[in-house]
Amino acid sequence: MNPKIEARSLSKTYVSARTGDKVEALRDVSFSVLPHEFVSIVGPSGCGKSTLLALAAGFALPTSGEVLADGVTITGPDPRRGVMFQDYALFPWRTVLGNVEFGPFARGAGVEERQAIARRYIAMVGLDGFEQRYPHELSGGMRQRCALARLLANEPEVLLMDEPLAAVDLQTRNILQDELLRLWGDDGEPAQRRAVLFVTHGIDEAVHLSDRVIVLGRRPGMIKEIVAIDLPRPRRAVRNSAAAGAHVEHIWSLIRDEAARAIVEETV
Amino acid sequence: MKVRAASLPAGHIDRKGKAIRWSLFRRLEFLFALAAVGAIWQLVSVAVGNKTLVPPPLLVIEAWLGLWRSDLPTDILASLVHLGIGYTLGTLTGLVLAILAARFIVVEAIVDPLVEVLRPIGAIAWIPLAILMFGISRSVPIFLIFYASIFPIFINTLAGVKQVDQQLVRAGQMLGASPRIVVMHVVVPAALPFVIAGARLSLGVAWMAMVAAELTGADSGLGWRLFWYQEFFAMDKVMAVILTIGVLGYVFDTLLRRLQARITRWSPESALSDP
Amino acid sequence: MTDAQRRWIPLLFFGSVVLAWEAAVRASGQSALASAVVPSPAGVAIAAARTISDGTLAAATAGSLFRVLLGFTIGAVLGIPLGLLMGFVQPLNRAFGPIVDSLRSIAPIAWIPMALLWLGIRGNAAVFIVTYAAFFPFVVNAVQGARLIDRNLVNAARALGARPALIVRSVILPSALPAILTGARISMAFAWGSIIAAELAMGIKVTSGGSGAVGLGQLMVSTLYIRRDVNALVLYMVVIGVIALIIDFGMRRLQRTLTPWRQP
Repeated sequence: MNPKIEARSLSKTYVSARTGDKVEALRDVSFSVLPHEFVSIVGPSGCGKSTLLALAAGFALPTSGEVLADGVTITGPDPRRGVMFQDYALFPWRTVLGNVEFGPFARGAGVEERQAIARRYIAMVGLDGFEQRYPHELSGGMRQRCALARLLANEPEVLLMDEPLAAVDLQTRNILQDELLRLWGDDGEPAQRRAVLFVTHGIDEAVHLSDRVIVLGRRPGMIKEIVAIDLPRPRRAVRNSAAAGAHVEHIWSLIRDEAARAIVEETV
Repeated sequence: MKVRAASLPAGHIDRKGKAIRWSLFRRLEFLFALAAVGAIWQLVSVAVGNKTLVPPPLLVIEAWLGLWRSDLPTDILASLVHLGIGYTLGTLTGLVLAILAARFIVVEAIVDPLVEVLRPIGAIAWIPLAILMFGISRSVPIFLIFYASIFPIFINTLAGVKQVDQQLVRAGQMLGASPRIVVMHVVVPAALPFVIAGARLSLGVAWMAMVAAELTGADSGLGWRLFWYQEFFAMDKVMAVILTIGVLGYVFDTLLRRLQARITRWSPESALSDP
Repeated sequence: MTDAQRRWIPLLFFGSVVLAWEAAVRASGQSALASAVVPSPAGVAIAAARTISDGTLAAATAGSLFRVLLGFTIGAVLGIPLGLLMGFVQPLNRAFGPIVDSLRSIAPIAWIPMALLWLGIRGNAAVFIVTYAAFFPFVVNAVQGARLIDRNLVNAARALGARPALIVRSVILPSALPAILTGARISMAFAWGSIIAAELAMGIKVTSGGSGAVGLGQLMVSTLYIRRDVNALVLYMVVIGVIALIIDFGMRRLQRTLTPWRQP
């Protein structure tokens, strides 16, 4: 199977506009995401997870190396690679309906068509009845669902998600994780699932959701290990099994020291 | 999985009734305060005894009503014409400059310092030069108003465009929006609260500039009329014009404030204000 | 474009504008003298040298600043207590708030005709205008300052055993101070703007002589009508702007010194 997303020797160095200092965010990162795979990226603060996602999304270009989608080099954002942002990036001046229909609208769909598409996905994420609400009237979990619906309404081939569940409380987080799995097709046929690249701080979250976990180290960001999670699907039913715990422990042992150092070294 | 409609506030309908009662209450309080001020005014006027020095409220109201039949409509119209032309041209100029400055960094590098240098001088300091250039005429207030209006809207629009969250722009891009759609449907709505705040501030300075310019360098308008009546020592008419200026200014600001509230309905954030 | 590059562009641009301006004026045959019709950079410099050396500029500036200080002080003395009172006593705020707002919306300079009648032409009318202009920012900001006082802090002080006088000195005043100082800064800015306007109006409209000490506004008027020196006019405009900047800079400095805990 050809990979959906492929990173080859990806490196990214930032240059501060003011001071001219160089920061090496990523060095020589290579991995691939297969068409129906759920892949997570974890690592301590400052390991370049979000930079990696930005490169995959096309928001930034690598300093060296390349990242490919379906074998073609990525040069910019594209609706086939939908992005879920950490603070949802919902358009505050548009209602839920207005947000979800934005993708079809941007691509020229007529009013009736895009509203029908939007309503379908709003119902799918469980927000029906809230179409006319503005984002500031919604709770965190509801905003997340809205962002997800907006994303899915474009029917992307790949989902790129940057710590989407970071801003909600733990109980909501667990519920939303299972929601995500359901929408993704956790309990269905593998061929129905889309490729997902998921950045998170939560190791247990990564293990619960993914088929494989990429573990990054920091300064510079390099791959420590890619862990295959062989837990059976559907995963929604089972949480905190012994096998899952073993994976979590293993990954944690890889990054524990660096995470401790990050607490002291990282500034806001 | 259905989500319960838990966010509909309890007693939703009752809230509306409460809101109506509250605004009525506040209007009564305002009328009471108004009456109190009127009473104090009357007392002062009686105490001073000189109707020219401190015209009593009733005399002023009488004068005001009488003015409606003579000069007031003409003066109001003249002032509104000054304001209309100056403010419209000024805000348009400020908007265009801000958009160019946001788009082209060279423009910003030149215009921004220019604004920083000219703003402290203030529109009023331009009056003598304006009189020299145009003579005593309606061009003086129009020019002053035009000049004064440019600054607040320029500063606020530029800031508004710059503070547009880049994540929103990226969200638009990844949803497939072309650059044109990103500008028109992401940048513009995101910057709009700041633009309208700037328009409101511009109106404030424009109003001040109008009064000052008409007072000193024009031959028409409410400001000019103030000194006209003063020369006849018709202080009741002077007060009437002063009140008219105050009320009109308040009305315009309220209109823009309402517009501002409607446009920023969706956002709990507030925009830049001066200073 | 780096920061350093950005700083050079305006310098280069304005530098060349000034040079081109001077060259254009010279080329058109005008001299840099007081009889010039169009101002030129050299002319402004000459006017500066003249007015500084014969003391007129200094005297006028001092006259205006004195009036500003006077009006500012009166405005503060009247406005701060009223604002604090209104902020503490909500019914007062609700009753008189709208009145204050309405009076505030009348441009200070509109009161000139009445002020002239009440206070005469000796410059007190100008002080009245300045006081009027400075009064409202103090009130508005003092109200804000009073409202911002955190009850928790007052209770904390009481729990620690402080007596009322100490509470006022160490909790209430510092809490309200940032807002009051902001009001002071805005008042100063308004005051400086209004004095020029008031002096201009008095200079233009009051035809009888002897208007007391001459301020910058009146100097500008006499330059406009008597000397017709357009270079001097530009000079005075620059002076007005420079003083406005100094005032703002000074007030911000004061704010930082007196309330260092305030986040910008």
